Amino acid sequence: MPFNLDVTFQPTRLRQTVLEMAYAGSTVHIGCAFSIIELLAVLYRRYLRYPGHDPDSPARDYLILSKGHGVMAQYACMRELGWLNETQIHQYFSDGSELKGLSDSRVRGLEVTSGSLGHGFSVGVGIAMGLQRSGTDQKVYAIVGDGELNEGPIWEGVMFAAHQKMDNLIMIVDMNGFQAMGTTEEVLSLGDLQSKLESFGFTARSVDGHDEEAIDTAIQQLWSSDDGKPKALIAKTVKGKGVPFMEADNRWHYTRLNAETFSEAVSALGIQS
Amino acid sequence: MREAFSSALVNFALSDPMVLLLTGDHGYALFDEFRVKCPQQFINAGIAEQNMVGMAAGLARVGYRPFVYGLAAFIPVRTVEQIKIDIAHDDLPVVLLGDGAGFVYSHLGTSHQSTEDIACMRSIPGLQVLSPADRFEMSACMEYALESRSPIYLRMGKSDRGDVHQSPIDALQAGQLLQLRSGRRDRPGLIATGSMVTIAVEAANRLDLNAWSAPLLKPLAQQAIDAAAQVSQGLVTLEEHSILGGLGAAVAEILSEVHPMRLLRLGVQDRFSEHCGTHAYLLKEHGLDQETVLTKIEAFCDVG
Repeated sequence: MPFNLDVTFQPTRLRQTVLEMAYAGSTVHIGCAFSIIELLAVLYRRYLRYPGHDPDSPARDYLILSKGHGVMAQYACMRELGWLNETQIHQYFSDGSELKGLSDSRVRGLEVTSGSLGHGFSVGVGIAMGLQRSGTDQKVYAIVGDGELNEGPIWEGVMFAAHQKMDNLIMIVDMNGFQAMGTTEEVLSLGDLQSKLESFGFTARSVDGHDEEAIDTAIQQLWSSDDGKPKALIAKTVKGKGVPFMEADNRWHYTRLNAETFSEAVSALGIQS
Repeated sequence: MREAFSSALVNFALSDPMVLLLTGDHGYALFDEFRVKCPQQFINAGIAEQNMVGMAAGLARVGYRPFVYGLAAFIPVRTVEQIKIDIAHDDLPVVLLGDGAGFVYSHLGTSHQSTEDIACMRSIPGLQVLSPADRFEMSACMEYALESRSPIYLRMGKSDRGDVHQSPIDALQAGQLLQLRSGRRDRPGLIATGSMVTIAVEAANRLDLNAWSAPLLKPLAQQAIDAAAQVSQGLVTLEEHSILGGLGAAVAEILSEVHPMRLLRLGVQDRFSEHCGTHAYLLKEHGLDQETVLTKIEAFCDVG
């Protein structure tokens, strides 16, 4: 049963949290957090099971944020769940604070230390193998960036997951089309990713990564394809989605908010600051 | 020594179904018994060491006890970052087994030789480093690794040098040195690890020196080094590893703080092997053969 239905994970509200944190901490990586907002909203709302509301429950599902740069989006969801408090949000990046600019496994609710890319997915494959050996119905959702697919260990893990028939694993690709220095096409083109993943032995679907209903349907369809294969959801997203002046503009991988741009961004979300 | 290693692994796996052996497509004959007796606990991860180490972290997170095997050039050196981030950062109980360390693959050249693995692993927080010299130390190190429930790198070098101990040794204590011989207090004492221990013992016998084996390279106890220094006039370290960052460096770090004295570090200088040949040939090329070692220690005695 979906566990978190009572929490709305409203995307606009999640984006507002990201803006608040980014402004409070004067941080970068806004665009790559915005591209996974709807994906996380659907996963937390309908799929991730945390028995006892406990992020450390041994019976939980595992959300692996392998593209650790998007971690503010996950913090925003953890705020909704009550796993983070207002001080942690508003004192982001202050001296001595716990929440870092990249996913860190020591934070309750985060599973892996990532940001160095191509790590989290392999850890997720190991978790999926362990869960499968133990015979539980727990699932692993691993979010990787399209830029992260440059990393060799991702493909080592993809081969292994397919070889071991890990049908409890979904790789979710945040296909926002950008990596640090340009578009993925310019830097290292991925070709036809869906065909590529299918040829590696995955069941793959592509979806509009900002359409919550479509994401939900696609995940349901993937889990219901009883073919013994690991799954891949290729989510076509927009980097910076939700704030028009940030959308598909790679400068918002690096740019910090000032009072003016913060205010403009919040207004663009349709929220009063 | 390799039999001691293999039988320890088989025993662990038979007594605990959560023990898993992962290998990067290495260990063809070494794991024959394991594969027959515990086929479900044997995982060949393919020639994909980075993914294998990441997966080991994932398996440990859900309660398994992974032992990850590879050649030392790959496990740990190729996967230093996975060991740091995925395993050590979370203090996960993963045992990394690096085989063929030093110049074991003497004929194959630089890619398969490993003289920097100790240095790489020593600097990773919380990771312990073991380096057994014979079958008795191997058994004790494997027990230590299983019991410690924290990240371990176990280094296996040239394994056919014979026994340095006469009988099984007691459970290892963190940081300790094992004394092999008592000798003259007015001469240097020898501290060696792994494959160089037999050469150290022979040199100690000929020159009547104190000699210790160091199967636990990290942590290395201040107290143990200080005690060795107290009964020696200078110390000599011997290792089939770079003198930068290995046993010699670890001893130098401690000595300089607690008991400043002269130290001779015998190991690989800052260079790669130049030629191909037998293991004995390469030891000679690097000045680590029995006669060269003896000459260097004698000269060190004379300076003292």
